[in-house]
Amino acid sequence: MKKLTFPLFKKPLTSYQIIQTVLGIIFSAYLLWRVYQIFIANPTYGPDTWTRFLIAGLVLGSVYALVAIGYTLVYGILVMINFAHGDIMMIGAFGGYFVFEALDVIPSPTAANAKEVFLNAHPIISVLLAFLVGISVAALSGYFLERIAYRPLRNAPRLVPLISAIGASIFIENAAQLLFGAQRRDYTNPDILTRGEGWSILIGESKVILPYTGVLTIVLSILIMIGLFLLVRRTQLGRAMRAVAENKSAAALMGIDVDRIISQTFIISGGLAGAAGVMWGIHLGLVYHFVGFLPGIKAFTSAVLGGIGNIPGAMLGGVFLGILETTGPGILGIDFQLKDVLAFSILVLVLIFRPTGILGEVLNEEKV
Amino acid sequence: MKNHLRHALQTGLVFGIIIVFLFLIGFTNHASAMVGNGLQTNTVKPGFGLDAKMFNLLIFFALLGIWAGIRSSRRAPGGGHIRVPQALVNGLVAGLVSGLTVGGLAYLIGTLNGAKVRMSTYLAQLLPETIKLFTLGKLPAETFLWYLLLFIVSGLLGGLIGFVLVHEGLRKAALTGWNKLSAGVATHPAVERMLGSRAFRPTINVVLLLVLFLVPLQLSQFWNYTLGTVGIYVLLGLGLNIVVGLSGLLDLGYVAFFAIGAYTVALLTAPAPHHLLWSFWVALPIGVVLAGFAGVLLGVPVLRMRGDYLAIVTLGFGEIIRILSKSDLLTSFTGGPKGVLNVGGPGTLLGFLSSELNELYLIIVLIFLAIFMTLRLQHSRVGRAWEAMREDETVAGAMGINTLQHKLMAFGIGAAFAGLGGVLFASRNQFTGPEDFNLMVSINVLAVVIVGGMGSIPGVIAGAFVLKGIPEILREMENYRIILFGALLVVMMLLRPEGLFPSSRRKMEIHQEEPDETDLTITERR
Repeated sequence: MKKLTFPLFKKPLTSYQIIQTVLGIIFSAYLLWRVYQIFIANPTYGPDTWTRFLIAGLVLGSVYALVAIGYTLVYGILVMINFAHGDIMMIGAFGGYFVFEALDVIPSPTAANAKEVFLNAHPIISVLLAFLVGISVAALSGYFLERIAYRPLRNAPRLVPLISAIGASIFIENAAQLLFGAQRRDYTNPDILTRGEGWSILIGESKVILPYTGVLTIVLSILIMIGLFLLVRRTQLGRAMRAVAENKSAAALMGIDVDRIISQTFIISGGLAGAAGVMWGIHLGLVYHFVGFLPGIKAFTSAVLGGIGNIPGAMLGGVFLGILETTGPGILGIDFQLKDVLAFSILVLVLIFRPTGILGEVLNEEKV
Repeated sequence: MKNHLRHALQTGLVFGIIIVFLFLIGFTNHASAMVGNGLQTNTVKPGFGLDAKMFNLLIFFALLGIWAGIRSSRRAPGGGHIRVPQALVNGLVAGLVSGLTVGGLAYLIGTLNGAKVRMSTYLAQLLPETIKLFTLGKLPAETFLWYLLLFIVSGLLGGLIGFVLVHEGLRKAALTGWNKLSAGVATHPAVERMLGSRAFRPTINVVLLLVLFLVPLQLSQFWNYTLGTVGIYVLLGLGLNIVVGLSGLLDLGYVAFFAIGAYTVALLTAPAPHHLLWSFWVALPIGVVLAGFAGVLLGVPVLRMRGDYLAIVTLGFGEIIRILSKSDLLTSFTGGPKGVLNVGGPGTLLGFLSSELNELYLIIVLIFLAIFMTLRLQHSRVGRAWEAMREDETVAGAMGINTLQHKLMAFGIGAAFAGLGGVLFASRNQFTGPEDFNLMVSINVLAVVIVGGMGSIPGVIAGAFVLKGIPEILREMENYRIILFGALLVVMMLLRPEGLFPSSRRKMEIHQEEPDETDLTITERR
């Protein structure tokens, strides 16, 4: 593809390329017209609403980004879609939920308030504990998922591990439903992290709330992503992971234990999903057995958007998709019910017109 | 020695965890009820302060313990031969470990229950009566000892049984005996004459047809409904078999075409929302054609993609169709989340058959038609092109196959089959709504194809019976159907990835990647 920088001039166009170009032009023109309509001709929302959308989108996007990195890491190494990744996020969310519930009953009275519980007396420790447990549980399930459902199928035809992954996903979802019940549960946050409360910013004449939970989510996910970036770029493990992604047999010849690296990749990606799950719970406040399904698919969309196998791409794709999901319906003037349709349409369009994603896929011979 | 012990330890732990899991999802209650019904032990008075229900539970656990013992006394990877003392030690260790795990849980739950903690708030299945059953109505420490003893005894027993069962000589003797028997039957002159005679296949076919025609007349409505469901899944499976099994294109949005067929017939024949009230027989071909057309339309942009991407894009399409069909945008057109009621059916065509029976016969006839079409396609130039494409697209293209055209054809025909399934589904239920078309339908159909064996028609039929028929029969296990389904998919992929009735080509393909086995056969032949 790289050689065809200007296919318009160098080669006769195929009909496919013509359709692609024409559709692209039509779509961009429509988009420009809509943007003009929305912002200049007759604005339906004021700037304060757009800011609200943007904040919500950023928070959502940072969660998607964390999950998307998990997809990308696994795809980069095994060239398979880990279909059960969203469900691992759900497991992490439940881990954090149970920590909060437990700390909500443990008393920790202070001089000022004899009835105070541990959760509110030591909110920072509580939140850290919740993340720790959520991440560990999810990482552990990621490890066992790989051991049980994927490792024996390492050399099978490509469809086989995918089916196994689908089966594992169904199994985890329903196991959670049977274990914890089908009802939706409210996440109990520490008092200082009450949902919906935050710093208020004045934009124009109206107040926009910048929620504490949202800021926590964004800051934490940025920290985690920096950590991951350093891990992949700077450490022995990261180098081994990149080597295995490049070429498994050559990596094995260089003395890398491929099975161990794959296990560790699953642990890392599970941990990221677990962190995302706890964030999801803290910010959006609902947890139930099916909570990981849609974020999972959307995170996959983000991974594809950014170019699968490409870690910065997954981060970018996640944030982009989150913002798109909250602002897109407004820009295109469609119902908010259809935000999921929008996400899927973006996925389809990207795959049709630029299958390597925004930042480009990290390709090697095996994957082409 | 060391290997054996580690193997036994692992087995015990795995079984202990599985039993704990089964208890936490509430399965043990059902299982012990089944044991009670099966062994007629519901009126037993076992003494020791137990009642019949607890007795059943203990029997169920003992069976699991015996199984653990049997597993543990198998030859460990890297271990030598097993002798009787070793088998007993292994059974003991496995039983001890699983007993410790289960007993530990019982102790914990008993203690928490004594402290009046309401566990069912967090673990939905731990209702008071379940807890009472599991703790055997005793003090925590007593329960712990009971379970420990039970699992040790059953583990030892299992070890002994396992030794007898897997002892190399015995197993080999049984195997050769079986082989001789089956070979003897197959080469018996009478059997050979029957199989080889020209009238054999037609006779079988006629008998089959007669059975298929007569059986629905004898069955109750419930069974006919179940048969109809299985039949619709056979149709869907046959269609997806063309896309996935023959052409190797993984389609996870198959439900979209199913939905198009169902909505077509619903909107054309139902009194609301459009009041068209067309005949079912007119709507049927329209639904099929529309679905097939949608398949081609969808196929045009996506078919240039590689396997996994194709899967996810088709999944996206399926979800788009479902969300759109229940959105406000299309409510006036599709009936929105409420769906469409009073969808028309084939009616009483032959005068004396009820509408339901008629529907079932229609499904059966259409299945035969679909099988005929699939067979003709598969063995034609087109089918060979599909299979070539599945094996290697680049090479197929180099051989002069127009891959794009053939892919579109596979997609279109598969989609038409799905549309047919949708038409029948909607008219049989006399209803269609967005929730009929969730992702699970696509996954179910895919599972039918995979479990049965990709690219194989008997496989699709067997898969539909296994995945849609058996769960309908096991209605009392309602809650556990889907989780079993998920587990089955994983286990199937691990143990028998080629499916129940694989096409011979596919079987060879999967097994050729195990070099050890082929090496072995070569040396044996020499």
